[in-house]
Amino acid sequence: MASSRFPIPQGTQDMLILQILSLEPAHGYGISQRLEQISKSVIQLNQGSLYPALHRLEQKEWLQAEWKQSETGREAKFYSLTAAGRKQLAAEKESWARLTGAVQLIFDEGSWS
Amino acid sequence: MKQIRNWFRLRNLEQDFARELQYHLDSRVSDLILSGLSEAEARKQATLELGGITQIQEEVRDVWLTRWLRDLTYDLRFSARSFRRNPSFTATAVLSLALGIGATTAIYSLVDQILLHTLPVRSPERLVLIDWKGDQVGNAFGSYNLMSYPICRDLQQQERFFEGVLCRAAITVNLSTSGENKPTAAEIVSGTYFPVLGVRPALGRVLTVTDDQAPGASPVVVLSYDYWTTQLAGDPDAVGKKVMVNQHPMTIVGVATPGFHGIDVGEVPALWIPAAMSEQMLPSFHDLLDRRTSWMQVLGRLKPDMTLPQARAGLQPWFQAMLNDDLHRAGFPSITAERRQRFLGSTLALTPAPQGHSSLRRRLSQPLWVLLAATIVLLGLACLNVAGLFLARGSVRHREIHTRLALGASRGRIGRQLLADSLLLALAGGLLGVLLAPLAVRTLIAFLPRDIAANSLQAVIDTRLLLFAFAISVTTGFLAGFAPALQAGRSSLISSLRERVGTVSGGIRLRRILVTAQIAFTLILVIGAALFVRTLTGLMAKGPGFDTSSLISFGIDPLRNGYTPAEANRLMRRIQDELRTSRNVQTSAIARFQLLSGGSWNNPMTIQTNQRMITDREVHLNAISPGFFATLGTRLVAGRDFEERDSLPVNAGGRRTAIVNEAFVKRYFDGRSPLGAHICQGAGPDTKPDLEIIGVVANISYRGLREEREQAYFPIISGEGFAGNFYVRVQGSTETALQSIRTILRDADPALPLTYFRTLNEQVNRSLNTERMLATLSGSFGMLALLLSLVGLYGVMSFVVTQRTREIGIRLALGATRLTAVWLVLRDALLMIFAGIAIALPCVWALGRLIESQLYDVQPTDPVAIAGAIVVLCATAMCAAFIPAHRAAAVNPTDALRFE
Repeated sequence: MASSRFPIPQGTQDMLILQILSLEPAHGYGISQRLEQISKSVIQLNQGSLYPALHRLEQKEWLQAEWKQSETGREAKFYSLTAAGRKQLAAEKESWARLTGAVQLIFDEGSWS
Repeated sequence: MKQIRNWFRLRNLEQDFARELQYHLDSRVSDLILSGLSEAEARKQATLELGGITQIQEEVRDVWLTRWLRDLTYDLRFSARSFRRNPSFTATAVLSLALGIGATTAIYSLVDQILLHTLPVRSPERLVLIDWKGDQVGNAFGSYNLMSYPICRDLQQQERFFEGVLCRAAITVNLSTSGENKPTAAEIVSGTYFPVLGVRPALGRVLTVTDDQAPGASPVVVLSYDYWTTQLAGDPDAVGKKVMVNQHPMTIVGVATPGFHGIDVGEVPALWIPAAMSEQMLPSFHDLLDRRTSWMQVLGRLKPDMTLPQARAGLQPWFQAMLNDDLHRAGFPSITAERRQRFLGSTLALTPAPQGHSSLRRRLSQPLWVLLAATIVLLGLACLNVAGLFLARGSVRHREIHTRLALGASRGRIGRQLLADSLLLALAGGLLGVLLAPLAVRTLIAFLPRDIAANSLQAVIDTRLLLFAFAISVTTGFLAGFAPALQAGRSSLISSLRERVGTVSGGIRLRRILVTAQIAFTLILVIGAALFVRTLTGLMAKGPGFDTSSLISFGIDPLRNGYTPAEANRLMRRIQDELRTSRNVQTSAIARFQLLSGGSWNNPMTIQTNQRMITDREVHLNAISPGFFATLGTRLVAGRDFEERDSLPVNAGGRRTAIVNEAFVKRYFDGRSPLGAHICQGAGPDTKPDLEIIGVVANISYRGLREEREQAYFPIISGEGFAGNFYVRVQGSTETALQSIRTILRDADPALPLTYFRTLNEQVNRSLNTERMLATLSGSFGMLALLLSLVGLYGVMSFVVTQRTREIGIRLALGATRLTAVWLVLRDALLMIFAGIAIALPCVWALGRLIESQLYDVQPTDPVAIAGAIVVLCATAMCAAFIPAHRAAAVNPTDALRFE
């Protein structure tokens, strides 16, 4: 059912990519697959915006990339987190937690009366 | 910065990204096939999921380059295409820029190497030159900035201020590695030299403080890397081997790191010798430990936390105390109270010396800056020219630009397109210029005063120079593109749509301004060239004051080959006798110091007539053999020449005599006869004027052609030893004479090397190298400038004619004569020329001071030079304007009118 899938919330795509890559290095297609799997197909990645994002993160030196053999035996460009990327992810996770916590608080407050 | 780097590897990035996307697509397709889709459907869906591939590529490119850089690449591509379509325009523009950029880069290369290049040592920015400011009281020999070795030792104790202090002196030694002696440049250095500079060995070790402890105790040398590779073929077993330096066996202990050429640009030492060995290395020198003999340059390395003013202030009390101590030390000469005052008033001067210490720099800095300024003016001219060309093209492209404006392109966007045009051109010009530059540098080096200088200067384009050329190119591009871009931005849309072909006024006023500026720049360069050419021709016409044809000079230094002074004297006498009896020799004489080599022996003198008088400045001195003036052909104005008897020591019945020149008589005797007066070297109260003036000679040049200084000559006294410079007037062919002179010398001592051997004409030429460089280069710059402004003026005038064809046609139809038509155009050109002259003249007047010291016998405002330059400029400019004017007059009135 199409309505059960959400586009990635505004501004969280980078964080999600970093999170996926914090588990292990992956190539672009792998990242989109994994997002799909882990979110149980709830979150839908716009594949068109994935590559500009990856290159932007690489440019910022949060990611590094190298060409390696993939599971299919072909060379693919694998991205992995740099130390700076790890730090960035931690920071984003923290602010995400604060944001969702705050949203939750507002919900709880609302259901009180 | 990353974006800029990306810009250069755009192709790689694109390929990489294409691969990456392909991988994504292929993986997706095969996954979809696995899930049951047909291949065609899978491919369709995968592409659909990805969205527009082109759009993704664009977005990723934006990431790589950022927006403006990307636009710039598009602009540049567009420019490149339009240049390819217009090769003659492109060639003219690129060539004029290449000339300007190439010349500037070449001169800058020398400026960089001679004036700006820091030494290849550890943190050179903390090196300071330590110099004595005031009256040192004592002897000095060497070039300048001199102090004694013991004072350097004292300074080494000042650990509060310096990490270390070194001293050095450039010397020439007779060096033999294979039995043949060759005069070779060397550096005598304190043991601290290498450690303080932080220069490491490439092989073996460098000199250390232990090599500089007891005089005569450490016969060791360190070779320069260049000497080791060129003369010893990079022998890996060189360390431990012996070389003969001034006939003393010295052990090679190491080879210095490659690229280190000592601390003086222009002196390229082949080896370094510890100061402790100076007595063996400098014949008849015994003053290493004498505080009053200054002959070394002292440099220190400031401590990291020490600033120059702090060190300067901090050292002063210590220095003052040292001066006081010195006064009471044994051996301090007795001096007048006034001199004592001056001695005690001395201070230590500290100056930053990241470039080391250089006499070449001192000599060439002004000429080089003048030349750099001239090339920059030339470059400005090239910019103006290209700007003019652009304006011309701009008016041709008028329609295109306005169509783009009408279609909604922003004005800034169009302006940027034009800037991209000029940047691309400038970069192309820069590239060509950089390719030409090494050739130009090689030519420039050939002009420089000394052969030695040529060894340390290189015609290579290094990173610094590339950066400079790049910066210059970009600046040039901006400057050349500025005016056209401004023009494009200004013209209004409505008017342009209203305008019709043939009446476009595209920047004609701006182009007139450009040409006026060009003419002004050109005139400045041409006047400069005229001044330098007049200086050179003036000096050549003046000559050294004696006939240089068929005059040969050579030098020997027997003391460096282990001769005692008496032996050396006997050898010289023997050679002299042999020469005189040779068939090919007319006359021959010996002088202690070489003429026209830039150096001199000078001292103040005391003159005793009925009162005692001290010369108010140093007098140039030389010791000569009898017959010297006759050999040179110098006129004896009064009295007599030296005779054999004058050369005998006093105790052997000799007389103490001297000869002075006319300049000396003029300055100190008011033109009265000086014969019979007594003089002596030195100005102290203890000096005894015991030399009788027996003759007056005409003035001849000593250091160089420029000077008319007071000179005094002493006879060479038998038994005194020193380097001898022979002056030989030959008869018949110079070639055969050279041969027989060489034979005489070989017979006298085959192991004795010649320090130099050349004709006096050659010597004169050499001494004029700087002047010749200035004249030749500024002359070529002037010609180039004329050519460039010619092109500019021609361009504008043809444009004006095209613009006014209709008007001229009407005038002609209405009865105007052809002459009036020509005049109509020429008047325009004349206006620009006169405006240019009016701008240039005050600039010439203001710039005159800068070049004054490089001129000889010519004022910077010399009317002949200025008038000549104006005539040349006007003539060429009128030629450039006449062709279009002629075309204007040839216009057929009916054609011109039908054109509408």
